[in-house]
Amino acid sequence: MTKLTIAIPSKGRLQENTHDFFGRAGLKVLQPGGARNYRGAIAGLDNVEIAFLSASEIARELAAGSVHFGITGLDLVHENITDPEANVHIVTPLGFGPADVVVAVPNAWIDVETMADLGDVASDFRNRHGRRLRVATKYVTLTRAFFARHGIADYRIVESAGATEGAPAAGSAELIVDITTTGSTLTANNLKILADGVILKSQAHLVASRNADWSDDALAGARAILDRVAAEEQARDTRLVKASVKDRGAALRAAEKLGASEPFPAADPSVLTLLCAKKAVADCAKILIETGGADTVTVETLEYVFKRENRLFEPLLDKVRT
Amino acid sequence: MTSQARTGAALKLFQDAGHLAVDPPILQPANTFLDLTGEDIRRRLFLTNGPDGADLCLRPDFTIPVCRQHLEHGDAGRRADYCYSGPVFRQRAQGSGEIPQLGAESLGREDRDEADADMLGLAVAALDVFGIRERDIVIGDETLFASVLSGLELPAVWQRRLRDLFGETDKLTAAISRMAGADRSGDDTRDVRLGFLAALEGADPEAAHAVVEDLLSIAGISAVGGRTPSEIADRFLEQAALASGSGNHARAAEILTSFLAIRGNGADSLSALEGFAGETGLDLSDAIAGYRNRLDAIRARNIDPADLTFAADFGRRLDYYTGFVFEIHSRKADAGGQLVGGGRYDRLVKLLGAGAEVPAIGFSIWLDRIEKISGANR
Repeated sequence: MTKLTIAIPSKGRLQENTHDFFGRAGLKVLQPGGARNYRGAIAGLDNVEIAFLSASEIARELAAGSVHFGITGLDLVHENITDPEANVHIVTPLGFGPADVVVAVPNAWIDVETMADLGDVASDFRNRHGRRLRVATKYVTLTRAFFARHGIADYRIVESAGATEGAPAAGSAELIVDITTTGSTLTANNLKILADGVILKSQAHLVASRNADWSDDALAGARAILDRVAAEEQARDTRLVKASVKDRGAALRAAEKLGASEPFPAADPSVLTLLCAKKAVADCAKILIETGGADTVTVETLEYVFKRENRLFEPLLDKVRT
Repeated sequence: MTSQARTGAALKLFQDAGHLAVDPPILQPANTFLDLTGEDIRRRLFLTNGPDGADLCLRPDFTIPVCRQHLEHGDAGRRADYCYSGPVFRQRAQGSGEIPQLGAESLGREDRDEADADMLGLAVAALDVFGIRERDIVIGDETLFASVLSGLELPAVWQRRLRDLFGETDKLTAAISRMAGADRSGDDTRDVRLGFLAALEGADPEAAHAVVEDLLSIAGISAVGGRTPSEIADRFLEQAALASGSGNHARAAEILTSFLAIRGNGADSLSALEGFAGETGLDLSDAIAGYRNRLDAIRARNIDPADLTFAADFGRRLDYYTGFVFEIHSRKADAGGQLVGGGRYDRLVKLLGAGAEVPAIGFSIWLDRIEKISGANR
């Protein structure tokens, strides 16, 4: 039986964020032998193995099915995996590593604001310069698909491994497709993003391979991980609300309209303990006071909320078993 | 006959018609294909590298390799007829990437109509060898579309946009309705700039050009990203003209739409085209005369024009195709695409480095598709 293998980034900010993410879910990533070891484990979960890989390798290994889970950006999923739908399943966004893949042109191009403008420039460029417009990027697949969608065919891609934003100034390309978080690097290089030039809004995701060997052992490992992840996510968005009420029935009915639930009915009818969405907490408290006649309402944060139904695991099971 | 024997017999047919059998290299410079056919072909190329790091690809077709070889062996404009048989290589989701093809090319013939008819006749004769007689022949002619377009007095930018999309009818139709002003969405930022553009409108074009160019140079902007300030100013003013004139092209859009809808058998389509020219008042006499002469030449090869289907919107996106195009489909079975694709590409040899355009036409036969339907045909 194969263990569940999770590929996580082996260096940089993405790695720190990944460790934090697992840490929040109560999962401690162990890297015996320190940062030079490429295999690790998770404390207390014997059927889980960690592979430390570079970010772009993770997408490829997911497609190949040599790892079950991977933590990687959507940009790399769409760039490195042909037919992502068929090969991987996006389990959940992780809330870090936000970045956009964008089309950016020199500020001086005052005549170019949209992809349609760019199409006009591209089709005229060859007449004027005797060669095609060049786009520097490491996102060859994303660029090609996006340009085709906008009906732009008259261009050439110049593959760029790094410092893509410098290509227009260096004269090796006219424009770029690159990833940006704040846009400040683009601004510093006198580039602007086209109005409809955002190809992809990316962030780090937990991604499952549909091609991996999903043995019972691996699925058990996945369930264990996703229970904790889902419980932590749920807890982040949920608050425990307590009050001593006079009119229990009316208070509960009104609170349920806000989506609150009473998972643990107390023997004492005056005690009401509710689980409530974080954003509805203030409204809920108001109801308990006004409708329920409570004098005091307390709200507590929760560490974990485990449920019988796991909203992350069921869809995964569905995807990897078909 | 085995399929191999049939291929041999068809090749013999081409050779008897005066076509020299050639076998151009399988390994080709990738840049040539990317430059000529655009970036979109990259996903279909099998790419590799030479020892010096040069990008090479396995030939994705025969036309360009045959023309490259033609250029290497003497004067580009000389008359030469070629034929070939062998694999081309294209990445595709299903099926082998190695696709057997058979075909012929004819370069340097100034009697274009006769050459067009000869090549269509040769393609039809080749299908006879394979026993495929139930077939639909679709023909098109980019010259007609170009004549309609240039007769409409549209701004240069719209002529360019539409010309670039000819052959991709969905995109072309969308562009035409955009031109007619049907779709003005997604242009929020444009409105803000329109004020400035409108202020420039009607100004002396040269003065306006100088102002924009000056503004760019005041901002310390020289040729950033390979475009010159003058070029940027040009297009900026073109936008001004376009913005003020947008929505006035409804009539042109209507004419283009009715032209693109012309479809019918080769004989009827001639009168349809003449009727269209009469109704719209466009001068299409040269283009229609060319079309008529070609049909006459085709008739002289014992192909009845009534058996051809003319489609006004049929063309190829590749910018080296210049006029007559044709495809032959099986009428009986779904072969997964055309059995034969051919067309005139007078611009290609020049784009490959010749001093001037060289008249050229060719076709290739998809032997894998013929193999696929051969059971259904016998």
